[in-house]
This record gives sequence, C-alpha cells and structure tokens, in this order.
Amino acid sequence: MIGILLAKLKSFIRNPWTFLIFTGMSMFFAFIFGGANVDKAYVPIHAVNDEIKDSFIGQQIEEQEGFQFSWMTEDELKEKIETGNAEIGVILQENDFNIIVGVDSFNTSLVQQIILGIYHEKKEREQILLAAGQDVSDKGNILSEMDQVMERPIFNLESASFRGEGAFVYDNSLHRIFGFSLFFVIYTIAYNVLPILTEKRDGIWDRMILSPLKKSEMYVANLLYSFITGYFQVLVIFSMFRYVIGVDFHGRFLETLLLLIPYVFSVVALTILISAIVKNSQQFNAVLPLLAVSMAMIGGAYWPIEIVESKLLLMLAKINPLTYGMEVLQGAAVYGYPLEELLFPISILILMGVVMTGLGIHLMERRHI
Amino acid sequence: MIELVDLTKKFKQMYAVKNLNMFIERGEIVGLLGPNGAGKSTAISMLSSLVEPTGGDVRFDNKSILKNPAAFRKIVGMVPQNIALYTDLTAEENLLFFGRIYRLGGKELNRKVDEVLEQIGLTDRRKDVVKNFSGGMQRRLNIGVAMLHDPEMLIMDEPTVGIDPQSRNYILETVKRLNEERGMTVLYTSHYMEEVEFLCDRIYIMDKGNLIASGTKDEIKQILSSEKTILIRADRINGKFVEALEQHSLINRVTIGEKEVTILVPREANVFSEIIKLAESTGLELLSVDNKTPTLEDVFLHLTGRALRD
Ligand SMILES: Nc1ncnc2c1ncn2[C@@H]1O[C@H](COP(=O)(O)OP(=O)(O)OP(=O)(O)O)[C@@H](O)[C@H]1O
Ligand SMILES: [Mg+2]
Repeated sequence: MIGILLAKLKSFIRNPWTFLIFTGMSMFFAFIFGGANVDKAYVPIHAVNDEIKDSFIGQQIEEQEGFQFSWMTEDELKEKIETGNAEIGVILQENDFNIIVGVDSFNTSLVQQIILGIYHEKKEREQILLAAGQDVSDKGNILSEMDQVMERPIFNLESASFRGEGAFVYDNSLHRIFGFSLFFVIYTIAYNVLPILTEKRDGIWDRMILSPLKKSEMYVANLLYSFITGYFQVLVIFSMFRYVIGVDFHGRFLETLLLLIPYVFSVVALTILISAIVKNSQQFNAVLPLLAVSMAMIGGAYWPIEIVESKLLLMLAKINPLTYGMEVLQGAAVYGYPLEELLFPISILILMGVVMTGLGIHLMERRHI
Repeated sequence: MIELVDLTKKFKQMYAVKNLNMFIERGEIVGLLGPNGAGKSTAISMLSSLVEPTGGDVRFDNKSILKNPAAFRKIVGMVPQNIALYTDLTAEENLLFFGRIYRLGGKELNRKVDEVLEQIGLTDRRKDVVKNFSGGMQRRLNIGVAMLHDPEMLIMDEPTVGIDPQSRNYILETVKRLNEERGMTVLYTSHYMEEVEFLCDRIYIMDKGNLIASGTKDEIKQILSSEKTILIRADRINGKFVEALEQHSLINRVTIGEKEVTILVPREANVFSEIIKLAESTGLELLSVDNKTPTLEDVFLHLTGRALRD
C-alpha cells in the first residue's frame, strides 16, 4: 500500500501540472473576485443636508472600519441599489436615518446597529451639553475636555466580542476564497481519481489483483492519495491567502483547515462514485465540469446561498457536499460559531462520504470484478 | 497443468466465449489464435482468475481456481494486451514498484530488477521515463514486469501488436529462450500466424467465441490436405472476374484483397488455364498466379471464409 502511494507521489512530482493549474486558478479567481477592499463591504450613503455630513455623525461614519461608506446623492444611491452594485444604502437625516435594502444580508442589521449607535452617541453629547448649563460659548471646550477624559478613563473597561474589532459579517474575501477553493479542489481530486479508470483499462489493476496485494489496500491507497492531493491544494491556497496576502481568518485559521477534512473526504467519495458509474474516462471528463459547476452554483461557492430562492435548487443544495462545506467554513471563520454548532453539517459530510465511497466501490467491483 | 472445461462468458446476450475446452501442459508454448473480437482476451482473463466465467471451470493441477485462485496466481505472470505501466515513472521504478507488490525487497529485488532489465534488453535505458520509450520498448517492459516474481507460467495477450519487426523478433526470441532455458510454460495469444507458427507446439484457433480448430501445427495443416490455395494478383481486380471465379464449379472459396484474390481449390484440380481464360474473357490484366504452400492463415480462411486480419 505504501508502495502504491509512493509510486503515485513520484508520478505526481514528475507531472504536477494539473495540480498547479487548478491551485493557481483557484487563487486567481478568489483574488480577483475577492476585490481589493478585501474586508469591507461597500455601502453608499447620503445625507439630506451637508451639515450632517460635516457634523459628528459624518465624522463617526467615516471612521468606521467594517464598511466602506461612500457619500453620494440620493438618486445615485438608489441607482446603485437598483443595479445591484450595492446591497444596502443609508440616508441620514438630522435625528433619524433610513436604510434602503436591496439584498437582505447579515450586513443590514450590522449597518443599522452601527448607525444607531452613532445617533445615540450624538444624543448623549447633546444631553451633556444641556446638563453643563447655558454657557454656550464654552460648548466646544466641554466636549473636547470630555473626549480627552474619555481617552484616559479612571476605570479601564475593555470588552470584546467574538467577531473581533470592527463589526462586519458578510466577508466577501473569505467567501471567495472558500468558494473557489472548494470548487477547484473538486477538479484536483477528480483528476487524481481518474487514473483508477485508466489503470483498470490498461491492466495495472489486473496486475495488482494477481499479486499478493489486497483489494482493500488498493482502494485505500488510491483514496488516500486523492485525499492527500486535494487537501494539500486547499492547504496551499489558504496558507497563501493567510500568510502572503494577509487575509484575516478571524483567528480561526487552524479550525478552518481541520474543518476542510470532511469536505475533501466527501468529494473524494463523490468522484469515486462518478468513476464507478461512467463507462470510460471520456465520459468522466464530460460529466465532471457539469457537476462541479452546478455544485458550485447551487452550493453557494460563487454567491451566498441565501440569495438562492428556487425551491428546487434549495432542495438540490441539501444533497450537495459543497453546500455543507461552505456552511462549515463560513460558520467557523466568518460567524465564529463554536464547533458544536457545526456538528450537523460535518456529520452530513462524513455520512455522504461513507455512503458514496461504499456505493462507488460496490459498483466498481460488480462491474469489473 | 491448466485445463479449461466448457468455459463460457456471456455479456448480455452475446457469447464472448462459448464452451471453450483447452489444456496446457508444463513446459509447453501454446498458441491462442483468433481475429479481433474472437474472445481471446476474455478467455485469458477467465483463465487467470480476473473475470468470473458465466459457466464452466478452470482447473489448475486438477483443482478449480474459481473459488480459490491464490495458488495459481502465485505462479502465473500476466502480460496484458495494453501497456499496463506507470508511464510517468522510469523503467526501473516500474520494475521496483511491481516487484514490491509481489513482496520482493532489498537485495533480492534489486537483483531481480537487474536480471529482468537484462532479459528485455533495457539495461541502458533503465533510468528513462516510460512515456518517452518507443512502442517496442514499452512492450518489452510490459513483459518484463510480468517476470519479476519468477512465474512458472506466462500468459501473454498479443504482446507484439503495433511494434517494429526488430522489437518483435526480440520478443519472440526472448519467449523462446525463457521456454527452453527455464522450462517456462507460455500461453501466447496473437492474431499473427507467423508468430504462433514460430513459437508454439500446439495451437488453438478461436473465432467469434468458439473454438474452431486445435492441435499441433501439422495436425492443423492437415485440415487443408484436401485443398490448396492459389493467389491471383492483378493490377485492378474487377467485379466480373470475381463473379466468374465464384461461379466456377471447382473453386471452393474466394477472398478478395485490393490487388489480389485468394481461392481455395481441390488439391488435385488444375485450374491455372481456367483462371487465365477467365481473366481474358473479363478483361483482367493478370500479374501472377501462384500456388501457395498452406499456412495457418489458410486454415483460418478455410474454416471461416475470412482472413485473420482485415
Ligand atoms: N466487458 C465487456 N462487456 C461487453 N462486451 C465485452 C466485454 N469484454 C469483451 N466484450 C466483447 O466480447 C468479445 C470478445 O472480446 P475479446 O476482447 O475477448 O476479443 P479478443 O479476441 O481479445 O480481440 P482483440 O484481438 O481485439 O483483442 C468482443 O465482441 C467484445 O466486444
Ligand atoms: Mg484481446
């Protein structure tokens, strides 16, 4: 069994092109579509008069780190949302604000929280001024003194939430990295399972069957090899983004890598099943892109699955390993769920993996002995 | 040593092999001959316990191998019809790999690899990647891999298809040498008559899943004792001429090639003058008319009415 693995590994080193191409493509797409403002979602904003923009509210908004707020006229803002260039927009009034929602996402409530917070703070400051008395000339001083005091508080109270500094949730760049990695790794794995078909056709398997090698060793070696190359690919991609490009995994980098294991396993199983069903490698090559692309679309690799509405597609998403793969990764790195909350998708992935491997091997054995 | 008893394989409604009876004794080279789709590979796969027969039995030293193939697998070396090698690896790496799956290791493995490389004449190419080998070299390695564990019996499925005459002779000589020097038993499958004539003591001929002849070379040629073959060559064969031949009472069988026609006639008949007459009357320009000594090819023609290779 070790022998088979070594032979395959040697072949791999002599001919790493498939692997490199799919790894490269995956990174390229994630990088391009991830956008330059990797961490910030774009939010158009409009103030009914310029005073608001220059006041405390405007300043606070511009200091926000989680989102990229961009000032514009109301018409421009509405157009951005209608054309789908922005998910939501904000219109500021003196003492109130409106949020215009194009696509309802996790961002909606976050933006609302942020802006509500700013308005509260503004109210507070006005209250303080009121309490300080009628001495209008000192108005500026009081506030700047207060700000200074606030920066050197008597009690140093720190709080942190699990989403870390700067609130944000729909993390575009992570979503792309996850999506494209999970998508392209299907190809890498599939092209490493494919040799089983050619080795069977050419008689390499017959040679092994006649040798003292056990059938189980042959399958385990092949599965293991496909798994290792697939996993190695996502490892390379994620590490690249984490350490070279500097994408923030919100402290869940290791967890993300671990949580990939069930997904990669289920994809190995899926490709084993396909290779057991198709008649030859041509059919395999024809089916694979169809399957991979539809899995990616339905499973939310390209866009958040939340925007899919068709009942049928949502049903199909439920039997798609990629859906659960995305769910697990997003859950861990973006929403910061603890492991227990991810147990459900993880078990589904493992279950799918076991069932499809079993079925695939059974079919192969029945067909070719 | 090995005996096939009414061996049958059905794919859906089609018989790939039907009621095949064969035996091979230790130290023999036995030929299995047949055109494309005759069922040779299927028969071989069943014999070597890779494909389960629909019916019949395969017996090794009088014990069925269907339930218990281990003993037979140990002593058999299989040369598949395709190149069953890792083409991204070198010749040496392939041999090492297939040696290891036979649980060879250490010095013994290295010694075996050297020996096999010597036998197949690839010692100086051992470090080259198989992908870059010529067809003939790949074929040789394909055979070499099957010999690593010193099999008593070698089963070869068309080991010479698609290669140059030089490599082909090399392979034939190697097989003959293995048989003479080590007493290796060989089952040699081919659709080249010459190879089988050169190598084999006994021959089985299959067509469309059925055994149509078997015996020693001489026995099989005896089948033709009542007939002889005449080869007619012309610049361009015309339909009228062929028709005339077919209608002739002495001519048993007509097979048409591009620039030649082969006919079978009774041994005693003298048809030369008749042929020349027919050619004149149909406006055919004859190049030659030859009496052929019978070959296995002719036997096949006689039995099936078709040439072995199309
Ligand atoms: N797995 C299979 N499923 C269905 N039909 C098969 C299968 N394997 C072989 N056949 C059919 O059985 C017949 C015999 O095939 P086989 O490969 O044994 O012939 P062969 O004598 O080895 O021919 P060749 O000289 O081309 O190798 C063919 O008609 C082939 O199409
Ligand atoms: Mg064949």
